[in-house]
Amino acid sequence: MAMDRPVAVVAVAQTPSYRRYDDGEPVLIMTCVNDLLARTGLARDEIGFTVAGSCDYLSGMPFAFVQNLDGMGAWPPIYESHVEMDAAWALAEAYLRLQLGDVDVALVVGSGKSSPGRPREVFSLQTDPYLMAPLGIDPPSLAGLQARTLVDAGTATERDFAEVVARSRRAALDNPNAQVKQEVSVDDLLAAPYFAAPLRAHDLPPISDGAAALIVAAGDRAAELAQRPAWVHGLDHRIESHHPGLRDLTASPSTALAAEHAGVHDGPIDVAEVMACFSPEELVLRAALGLDDGATEVNPSGGPLAGNPMMATGLVRVIEVAQRIFDGEAGRGVAHASSGPCLQQNLVCVLTGERTMSAERA
Amino acid sequence: MRRQSAVVGIGQTKYKRARDDLSLEGLVREAAHRAVEDAGITLADVDAFVIGKAPDALEGVMMPELSLADALGAIGKPIHRVHTAGSVGAATAISGSIMIESGRYDRVLVLCYEKQSEGNATWALSGGRSGGQGAGGTFAPWIRSYIQRSGAPEHIGWKVAVKDRRHALRNPNAHLRIDDISIEKVKESPMLWDPLHFLESCPSSDGAAAIVLGNEEVATKGPNPPAWVVAHAKRSELSSFPGRDTVKPQAGIDCARALFEEAGITRPLEQIDCAELYVPFSWYEPMWLEGHEITPGGDGWKLTDSGATELGGSFPINPSGGVLSSNPIGASGLIRCLEAANQVRGTAGDYQVDGARVALGHAYGGAAQYFAMWIVSSERQPTF
Amino acid sequence: MVLASRRANSCPSATPKRTGPPAPQRPPGAAVAGVERNVFYFAWMCAAEPAGLNKSEATLELPYSRSTGPVVGAFLTGLRDGRIVGARCGDRVLCPPLEYDPETAAPLDGEMVEVGPGGTVGAWTWVAEPTRKHPFPHPFAFALITLDGADTPLVHAIDAGSPDAMSTGMRVAAQFGADRHGAITDLWFVPEAEAANQDITPGDEPVTVTEHLISLQIRERLYPHRIRFAEGLRRGEIIGQRSPASGKVFVPARGYDNLERVTMSEADDVVVADRGAVSAFTVITPVEYYGQKETEPYIRASILLDGTDQAIMGVDLRDIPVSDMRVGLRLQAEWRPSAERDVSGLDNRWGGAWESVIERWEPTGEPDVDPRQLQDYAF
Repeated sequence: MAMDRPVAVVAVAQTPSYRRYDDGEPVLIMTCVNDLLARTGLARDEIGFTVAGSCDYLSGMPFAFVQNLDGMGAWPPIYESHVEMDAAWALAEAYLRLQLGDVDVALVVGSGKSSPGRPREVFSLQTDPYLMAPLGIDPPSLAGLQARTLVDAGTATERDFAEVVARSRRAALDNPNAQVKQEVSVDDLLAAPYFAAPLRAHDLPPISDGAAALIVAAGDRAAELAQRPAWVHGLDHRIESHHPGLRDLTASPSTALAAEHAGVHDGPIDVAEVMACFSPEELVLRAALGLDDGATEVNPSGGPLAGNPMMATGLVRVIEVAQRIFDGEAGRGVAHASSGPCLQQNLVCVLTGERTMSAERA
Repeated sequence: MRRQSAVVGIGQTKYKRARDDLSLEGLVREAAHRAVEDAGITLADVDAFVIGKAPDALEGVMMPELSLADALGAIGKPIHRVHTAGSVGAATAISGSIMIESGRYDRVLVLCYEKQSEGNATWALSGGRSGGQGAGGTFAPWIRSYIQRSGAPEHIGWKVAVKDRRHALRNPNAHLRIDDISIEKVKESPMLWDPLHFLESCPSSDGAAAIVLGNEEVATKGPNPPAWVVAHAKRSELSSFPGRDTVKPQAGIDCARALFEEAGITRPLEQIDCAELYVPFSWYEPMWLEGHEITPGGDGWKLTDSGATELGGSFPINPSGGVLSSNPIGASGLIRCLEAANQVRGTAGDYQVDGARVALGHAYGGAAQYFAMWIVSSERQPTF
Repeated sequence: MVLASRRANSCPSATPKRTGPPAPQRPPGAAVAGVERNVFYFAWMCAAEPAGLNKSEATLELPYSRSTGPVVGAFLTGLRDGRIVGARCGDRVLCPPLEYDPETAAPLDGEMVEVGPGGTVGAWTWVAEPTRKHPFPHPFAFALITLDGADTPLVHAIDAGSPDAMSTGMRVAAQFGADRHGAITDLWFVPEAEAANQDITPGDEPVTVTEHLISLQIRERLYPHRIRFAEGLRRGEIIGQRSPASGKVFVPARGYDNLERVTMSEADDVVVADRGAVSAFTVITPVEYYGQKETEPYIRASILLDGTDQAIMGVDLRDIPVSDMRVGLRLQAEWRPSAERDVSGLDNRWGGAWESVIERWEPTGEPDVDPRQLQDYAF
């Protein structure tokens, strides 16, 4: 199979994770898009392809995504598309589009406001419509099931979950965009009552409104636009069964498979940003990605437990890794995004500071 | 190095007001199985999947790729879901083509569907509110504006409504089968959104459509001749802003120009053998003829009036019966793209355009602001 | 694009009958005592409660009638009849049943096998704060339950009374509600020792449709520019915004100029004329659908107010004969008396709430505006 055309993230932007943003999603998007254009000096019409990720049901109205165009600069007309998913999958679309050779620069946008609705009710609509959704089964309950399997298998303990939370909140102190940030002790966390046992409320992500965007460019164009582009070494995504009973909830085989195809193991990983919206997920993902606890910094941004602008959260993971490569803090990093109950679907993106040809795909 | 993609398998369900014999999984499997069988492969041979669908509220299932992946045999593989309003079917076909052209995947299954009988499409198109105008209520004023600007006589819309339903009688998958369709019948049907009559509007259909796309190596191995994807284009514009021309949107003009340029088409009326255009309301046939510069401005209705857009004419439009005859919203754009492919493969049965070599598949959506189109051909690089 | 609803507006209730103690009173927002009082993450349970009157509430609600197909249909028919069935898949029995082999996606032949009513709990979680959509208003467990005779577990709810009664590997048994609809909510589970014998009369016809009412609440604060717009309407003024970048006047304001990609603030607010010309219209014949309140045909128009650059849309006119309607017709708003202007229905998404503040739009009798000047101001 042919080698991929080199593609790099050249600029990133994100709004803070707001508990509640009293204005529309288009404004959040517009903020990011204007930031990126100012940063890169690009004119709007120099972006050859725009692709967004958002979710109508989260926004509370069919066709809600249409108004988001208002923030993206869609006049004069643009070449754009939209996925009804986290914007990490919009990035996957952009990456493939750039492979064709005729477009050199793409804009990827993710946005979502979770505050107006009730996410526990909204996201239960993601589940099997006949046999699960009418039970109202919600992400915290599903995460609770996964947590139970980990505890029962002896793979993890409630203390391990609390340690993830404590690390996340401590790391978030350094992240101006994070929403939940504090020093907290594991023992204090463990004293809290259960919410979806064995999970406690702090094992859940916050409700967040926010948007994020990035610009990817190909080949020499990337080198022109950024001093130290974050090159995409590999990007892959895989899905598992929807039925929790048919899966091994103590592991994430789709993450492992995507990681293999994305070339995670082709070199050391300095930093990993994983979309662990519930604390046990971080443990599962570390294992699935084969991360070396000693050598890899995991979720230095605080991760989704510190700020969870759904539909942008996965893209923010890419942004946080890319930023550290831009800053020279990391040479190689992995960003992960997930979708669906208990990490049903997973996307892995490996970024490097060195422009090497991306690995040949098996 | 950019690869070329081709449609190597086509599968459709029969379109009906309600496919109440099937679950959602059953519906998508029916189309997916037909497509892979038509391609001479099985689901296991598919490398990646892409689903396209209109708003989730039409079925009340959020992000359905999650609950349909098992049924499609997508476990362990990539799957994602495109959503671009009414244009989604064509946008998804293009997304699938890009997946092949990128060189990443050899075989991609594109699947679009709608099971809108389970919810209520008008409710969804009205944002779930009372007093919604739906799609027809939004387009009707623009149609009136076109009629005024162009001076088109009032029967043009009725003529399109009759033509497309007559074509549908030759398409075993079509939803509406009105044997006695006539100008009188259309004219006398109740007014829904002035000036659109009931029979000038699309039905609400359940259905699924799927295509298998393959690269150059795959394309020559299947049981059917390939329909080569020669060019594709998408353009979008803001729905509402000062000075917006909603009748001949700039995004539609730009999209067609980009498409024709990529395909090497300079005289679309002569160089394209037939077109499957997204015409959910009758007047959109002449409006898109002009809106995509297939005819000069003001002349779209004249082409329709001349009979040229009938099967057997010089520029058949919607030989399958079009959106006016079957409209599972999320699938309709893909159906246009695959019916164009059917034509250039010579597999369009009773609605085959003789000798079709180059065909246009088209969809639009939202407030006539999203456009997605492709050109397919029996030749890899047709010359004109 | 549907022509007519095929269903009347009423629908059978899909909520399950609940037994057990009544739900404890919960104050909104705060759920359980915790390490911190910082409530944000507790809002996983409920939407934020905006303070004050400037809030916008909407409900997205529709009953769905899902055709089940033969396999889910057989399963739900079983539930309606007080039985649980699984699908044979090679030498395994899948419960819940599937139409296909989950390993290969190959179709199954549809042989169904009765399983349960007892089963064993695999994973479980204790739901301390049920949502409105959960099967019980009081705390309960969700669990993966492998029914006796099945090889795969299904997700369901266990009314165990207390998390102390729950354990991985425990035995549970199905209980069927008195009021069954052929839905997954027809049953629930209890610890096996507590299961009551039930005498279930099976139904007649197989279940082929299952009902699911989806109802989501959206509650948010009105955006600042919407608050100002609402206050303007109450005063009898239409507030737009003039773009600092282009000078174009947008009405109602969206808080930004989407052409220039700049946000706009109160400093950009302008009072615009309450008179203008019809730039587009149609006559809507109401289609029956869930929540539809309109019954008679009415005119819906866009009006380009004098001095503005964007038409106001969704203006419903019920006092002007259709024969008098035309693009270019000049109209003047006749406001409702101040005390009768009601902006409570205004939200962040849709245009005006024109009818609730403006009684009618009166033709002024002036010469029409040339329609060609209005053709790019329809939307």
